[in-house]
Amino acid sequence: MSAFIDARTVPDGTVLEPDLAIVGGGPAGISIALALANTPLRVVLLESGDMSFDPATQALYSGNKTGVKYLGLEASRMRFLGGSTNIWGGWSRPMDKIDFEERSWMPHSGWPFGLEALQPHYARAQTLCEAGPWLYEQAEHWSQSEMPTVPLGAGGVATRWFQFSKMRGSLLPTHFGERYADDLKKVRNLTTYLHANVTRLGLAFNGGQIERLDVATLSGRHFALKPKAVILAAGAVEIARLLLASNDVAPAGVGNANDVVGRYFADHPIPRDIGTLILFDGKLAPYYLNTQTTHGAILRAGLFPSEGYRRSKAMLDSSITIESKTLLDALGKTTVATTAAALGVDAGKATAFTLGGGCEVTPDPDCRITLDSARDALGMPRVKLQMKLSDSDLAHFRATLKELGRQLLAARAGMIRLNMKERGQWLTGLDWGNHHMGTARAHVDPKKGVVDANLQVHGVANLFVAGSAVYPTYGAVNPTLSIVAMALRLADHVKGLLK
Amino acid sequence: MKTLFSRRNVLMSAAGVVVVGGVAFEASRVLRKRYAPSPYDDLLAKLDDRDGSAQIGEAVLAEIDDFDAKTAAAQLRTKLQQASLADIATADAAAERLVEAHGWVLPQTLGLLCALAAKAAA
Ligand SMILES: Cc1cc2nc3c(=O)[nH]c(=O)nc-3n(C[C@H](O)[C@H](O)[C@H](O)COP(=O)(O)OP(=O)(O)OC[C@H]3O[C@@H](n4cnc5c(N)ncnc54)[C@H](O)[C@@H]3O)c2cc1C
Repeated sequence: MSAFIDARTVPDGTVLEPDLAIVGGGPAGISIALALANTPLRVVLLESGDMSFDPATQALYSGNKTGVKYLGLEASRMRFLGGSTNIWGGWSRPMDKIDFEERSWMPHSGWPFGLEALQPHYARAQTLCEAGPWLYEQAEHWSQSEMPTVPLGAGGVATRWFQFSKMRGSLLPTHFGERYADDLKKVRNLTTYLHANVTRLGLAFNGGQIERLDVATLSGRHFALKPKAVILAAGAVEIARLLLASNDVAPAGVGNANDVVGRYFADHPIPRDIGTLILFDGKLAPYYLNTQTTHGAILRAGLFPSEGYRRSKAMLDSSITIESKTLLDALGKTTVATTAAALGVDAGKATAFTLGGGCEVTPDPDCRITLDSARDALGMPRVKLQMKLSDSDLAHFRATLKELGRQLLAARAGMIRLNMKERGQWLTGLDWGNHHMGTARAHVDPKKGVVDANLQVHGVANLFVAGSAVYPTYGAVNPTLSIVAMALRLADHVKGLLK
Repeated sequence: MKTLFSRRNVLMSAAGVVVVGGVAFEASRVLRKRYAPSPYDDLLAKLDDRDGSAQIGEAVLAEIDDFDAKTAAAQLRTKLQQASLADIATADAAAERLVEAHGWVLPQTLGLLCALAAKAAA
């Protein structure tokens, strides 16, 4: 078992020459490092942080924001081993086939690979996320007597299930750093450096490959790597920063000949109290409101638009969660009583619940990360985020909620109140998923994407990107399970390439 | 031994119940809110709570630009002769015929009845 190396002890001027350098020890970087265990490749994992939170390291993440109110760039990610899984919620779900498709109603859509590229890797990703047995599809067919679901008439919204990450013997969910530190130390062909901040991607003069990585520590040490290949796994914001800031050879930055790097940044908006759900008989299974351990996994039910509905109605994705019981005002009570009477059902036990959820957004090139003039403690330019949120994306979410209301009425089971209409209502109390996506999107065409189907930066033969930076579109599910699956796919590719 | 319920007492109390019941029945007739006659009373009788429905109807009217009460009433009459409100409301939902009132998603027929209640109350 080899201990992690503290980069602050590496002599200045050292040059390491591994086969592969992984930049960032979040779930993406850790998964790749573990997947390459016991291969002939000599792998180095460079992690900026330590094993726990350090304010000075975390401050390297701070940046500026303009536009729609968004999370603090320092608060919405974590800069130590395990990355943002040190504070994540553990919500897990795979993406749908449609998420990868080019959709006429969604500009800039279409991945250079489909769901089938991730499917072989999801099982292992689920294991790494410690989200229990793979139940997502099976759960949709559980019997009503065993696992009753909200009765809905035929239509576009159905109950589907989240699974949750759980670290054995500890609190949920899995913190990748803490959980896999010992496993990383056991990998003979891997060396992990903590406190190692990559500050520059050194392009060869012909621009065709990375020939050097510059590493700095907050204590003032500097050393370098000359790896055969590099995987950037530093999170979508930091990946854009590294690519843009490494502009000594290519003035626009690495992989940015077509001005795509940093653009199409996205997160999932999580507006609060978006609707009020009424169930006339007041009966709601507990797994809608909270997680429940069942079938060997931690589960929670949500309400999702089906693929068929998204296709036929040209809808964006979303996920609806039932949050808590609530009270109705006088008009609300009257409306519920009047509607139930009109439907011929008893509403004596009618119960109201608040709804929450998240929604997909349309890729927007102007929602972007650029470099600021301010610099961090290592001399790197800080980032600026221009954040946007379109009314039409919110309108899609509202339409799906309305569809849910329609299905409740059709089943004579309940009804819905849509609490949001005007933009101001949506933005009040708006939260975000902390799911940083885009910025190095995948596309077959270098004019439209930063990386290709193999997640290789267009035109830079030995540079790859792992993580949700490569998402060309974003779906509505939490990204980490798919990030890990994609990272495992990339590990396979790189293994083949470097052998 | 004097029984607690003599036959006479039982008869008296039974009569009393009838009387009390009769008063209650009369009172509900007297106390029941009277509405000025409207052209839609036959339709509004289908609603459980006419005042409440009128409130909902105000919100429905705010969402509909060119509500023509006469035409709506004629169409509702035709529909409601053929099926019950419950069946029509359910079919509305199944067929995506919906209206909104203060964000509440309602079957169109119910929404239109409420709109007529609002018109009648205006
Ligand atoms: C509050 C919160 C809740 C969340 N909840 C969920 C959830 O429930 N479900 C879900 O799926 N996702 C959730 N997420 C998102 C999830 O945490 C991320 O999707 C995931 O961590 C991304 O993994 P990653 O490895 O790509 O990047 P990160 O986790 O960001 O890891 C990047 C790593 O790179 C290191 N690094 C950064 N810059 C450098 C550099 N220059 N040099 C060297 N190392 C560097 C960082 O220290 C970090 O360890 C949540 C996130 C937050 C913040």
